[in-house]
Amino acid sequence: MNKLDRRLVFGWLGLLALAAIEFGGSYLPLPRSLRPLLLLPALAMVATVALLFMRVATGPAIVRSFAIATVFWLIILLGLGTLDPMTRAVYQVQSTELP
Amino acid sequence: MSQTAALNERIASPLGRPSYLADGVTLKSWLLTTDHKRIAILYMISITVFFFLGGSAAALIRYNLIVPEGMLRSAETYDRLFTMHGVIMVWFFLVPAVPVTIGNFVLPLMIGAHDLAFPKINLLSWYLFIAGGALALYALFAGGVDTGWTFYAPLSTDYAEGNVVLLVTGIFVSGFSSIATGLNFIVTIHRLRAPGMTWYRMPIFLWSLYSTSVIMVLATPVLAITLLLLAFERIFHVGVFDPRIGGDPLLFQHMFWFYSHPAVYIMILPGLGVVSEIIPAFSGKELFGYKFVAWCSIAIAVIGFFVWGHHMFVAGQSLYASVVFSMLSYFVAVPSAIKVFNWLGTLHKGYIRFDAPMLYALGFIGLFTMGGLTGLFLAALAADVHLHDTYFVVAHFHYIMVGGMVSAYFGALHYWWPKISGRIYPDMIARAAALLMFLGFNLTFFPQFILGYLGMPRRYHSYPPEFQVLHVLSSAGATILAVAYLMPLFYLTWSLFRGAGAPANPWDAKGLEWQTPSPPFTANFAVTPVVTEGPYAYPTPGTSQPHV
Amino acid sequence: MSEEIAPHVHFQYANARHQAETAISGMWLFLATEALLFGGLLLAWVVSRHWQQSSFDAGGRETVLWIGTINLALLITSSFVYSTGLGSIEGGQPRRLIQCCWITAGIGLLFLLLKFYEWHIDLSEHLFPAGPFKLHGAEAGGARLFWTFYFVATGLHAAHMTAGIGLVLWVARQARRGAYSAAWHTPVEVVGLYWSFVDMVWIVLYPMIYLVGRGA
Repeated sequence: MNKLDRRLVFGWLGLLALAAIEFGGSYLPLPRSLRPLLLLPALAMVATVALLFMRVATGPAIVRSFAIATVFWLIILLGLGTLDPMTRAVYQVQSTELP
Repeated sequence: MSQTAALNERIASPLGRPSYLADGVTLKSWLLTTDHKRIAILYMISITVFFFLGGSAAALIRYNLIVPEGMLRSAETYDRLFTMHGVIMVWFFLVPAVPVTIGNFVLPLMIGAHDLAFPKINLLSWYLFIAGGALALYALFAGGVDTGWTFYAPLSTDYAEGNVVLLVTGIFVSGFSSIATGLNFIVTIHRLRAPGMTWYRMPIFLWSLYSTSVIMVLATPVLAITLLLLAFERIFHVGVFDPRIGGDPLLFQHMFWFYSHPAVYIMILPGLGVVSEIIPAFSGKELFGYKFVAWCSIAIAVIGFFVWGHHMFVAGQSLYASVVFSMLSYFVAVPSAIKVFNWLGTLHKGYIRFDAPMLYALGFIGLFTMGGLTGLFLAALAADVHLHDTYFVVAHFHYIMVGGMVSAYFGALHYWWPKISGRIYPDMIARAAALLMFLGFNLTFFPQFILGYLGMPRRYHSYPPEFQVLHVLSSAGATILAVAYLMPLFYLTWSLFRGAGAPANPWDAKGLEWQTPSPPFTANFAVTPVVTEGPYAYPTPGTSQPHV
Repeated sequence: MSEEIAPHVHFQYANARHQAETAISGMWLFLATEALLFGGLLLAWVVSRHWQQSSFDAGGRETVLWIGTINLALLITSSFVYSTGLGSIEGGQPRRLIQCCWITAGIGLLFLLLKFYEWHIDLSEHLFPAGPFKLHGAEAGGARLFWTFYFVATGLHAAHMTAGIGLVLWVARQARRGAYSAAWHTPVEVVGLYWSFVDMVWIVLYPMIYLVGRGA
């Protein structure tokens, strides 16, 4: 098995390990404010797939700029998009059941 | 006709000598072409049809509004008309307009390439456009939709009658056409520039197309998912926008405007690029502040993604978010203003010729500036409370889209027509049409600023009698505008059959596209050009004789 | 050597490497559009959950965790297998590539079969957000929001998976015809990018669907 194959195997095992951490971590009694940390294993898995399987680091430079731009625009969409819901004054309404 | 004259006629005829037009005359050679120039022609015919369909809806709207009770007497009909007008004009005319016609034709020529990076995807994008357009037209004519082009929930998801799902499916499909075009342009500009053409030697039109393509590629998918969620909710009567189950109708507006605000920059950026080509050519002078203009295109594209909440100031959005969006909206105006000042700097001490393209471009500068400035009025929170959903908004965006973008489209059409068709159009009629359009446009839309300020709401089929004078003025202007739009349809078509043959460079402009014959060969360049100078290497005024 | 490469180079490119890198750039740009497509869906999840957190999470607890988790492991493995296949053709071994393609497609098919079974379970438990619904009372609203998201997201993902399986099978077929070699195999890499992206989407969707509301 050549070097590339070995890196792929370790990557695969690493991804399965991260999935296990994510799965197990969800059962930890974390306080509400820390629960977003559970996203970290998923983000690490995304990074691993991008770096190892999609070769974002070793490809042409233009590919890296597309990947970074994508991440930036997702941050804008999710960040500015949640600004309004997070800062709206909420008037509680009874949740009604559909007929 | 003498034999010599007949021979000359044949030589001048684009079909009489080798060119992309003569390269295959069957229908199949056109419908299965991968030549970017032919695809541009296919698109040009398509969007012309859509323009006149959307324009007919506008004509009926203006016809309705000449009396206070509404000539058509039906609010439902009126609602369907403005929805039809908005949907067709936004998605099937303005978004494609310059990029798919002029852009498709000129981009490879301008960068010295033989074609775009992915010619088959280019053809696919036309078929997607036609498919989406057919679906949308069917939905609009078979009963219609009354939600407005903005499809706000819960009207569109719950209460509207009509073919909402069919219409949004048509728009969904045409969105992929947009994405395909944008993807093609970005990759082409990155990868297929001729030797010696660095980024800073590219004409500004290419920077504008690049910026437009970035928006097309990144914003359109969000529209796609928004329409998908809308369709789900309409079909199943439950969804994420439904307040009865705790969903948020404002989420629809956030997602919709995340696309639709950048979409307005998709619509205007190519026009800004066109004007940046025409002004130097007809001033015989280098573009003032090239790097500023280039980076301002990018800035408009990027900052344009940060401002969408300014459509929602009175929708229930949090005050905090509204303040942020208002401030960002002021920032986005700056690069546009920089471009305007750079055009003025280009004109200053130039040798100015008032050919038809230049008349359109000069009209653009004035009308776009007015539209842009009134946008700033609307971006101010306090003013927007009064002006939102009035004719002030309608006038604002028509000044940019029609006064600006449609002028730029006509300017581009006239500027590159000799290259595309190999024919010269009659000059004086063209100038007259340009002036008539400027006049008709102002008569149509300036009264609407006043109407809005006085409180006339938009999307109303009837109104209080005190607004009638202004409405009648506006409708009169619309009639003049219609004539001004029809004129080019006639004389440009006439020029295809009877116009004089065009030389390679009828305007004495700089740029690689003018180094090819009019019309160009299928392969564009026999030998790959090597670029050694900037895109606007006109002689400095006063140092050598400008060409008359 | 040049006869292998030359037929593939289209007239607008300088050489084969230029064309290959352009194709890869094109696919990455397309994946950027796909990321924004699913990104919009993510925004809908965040906002919906924000307004109805407890009932949204209650809806999430009804998902079939074992199927989702197995599917995650399957997709991760399939990305690994396909990448191995890509490595094989880079080393001039088309047969290994074909095997890897078949395995990848097989895993993808297994994913879809499990998914259809999962949908069957969901529908039979009245978890489709329209009509009679499994949860009642205060929990119903947010749960319906969750399940709307669930069906749109998994449906969209399944559609992309189906396209991906088709592409992988196409690569296998082309490889059997001897189209690829160590010198030229761009479509293999391009399809691999798409496949890994579909994997990535599931990696992000998994915690949003199966882990939300679970555990502590």
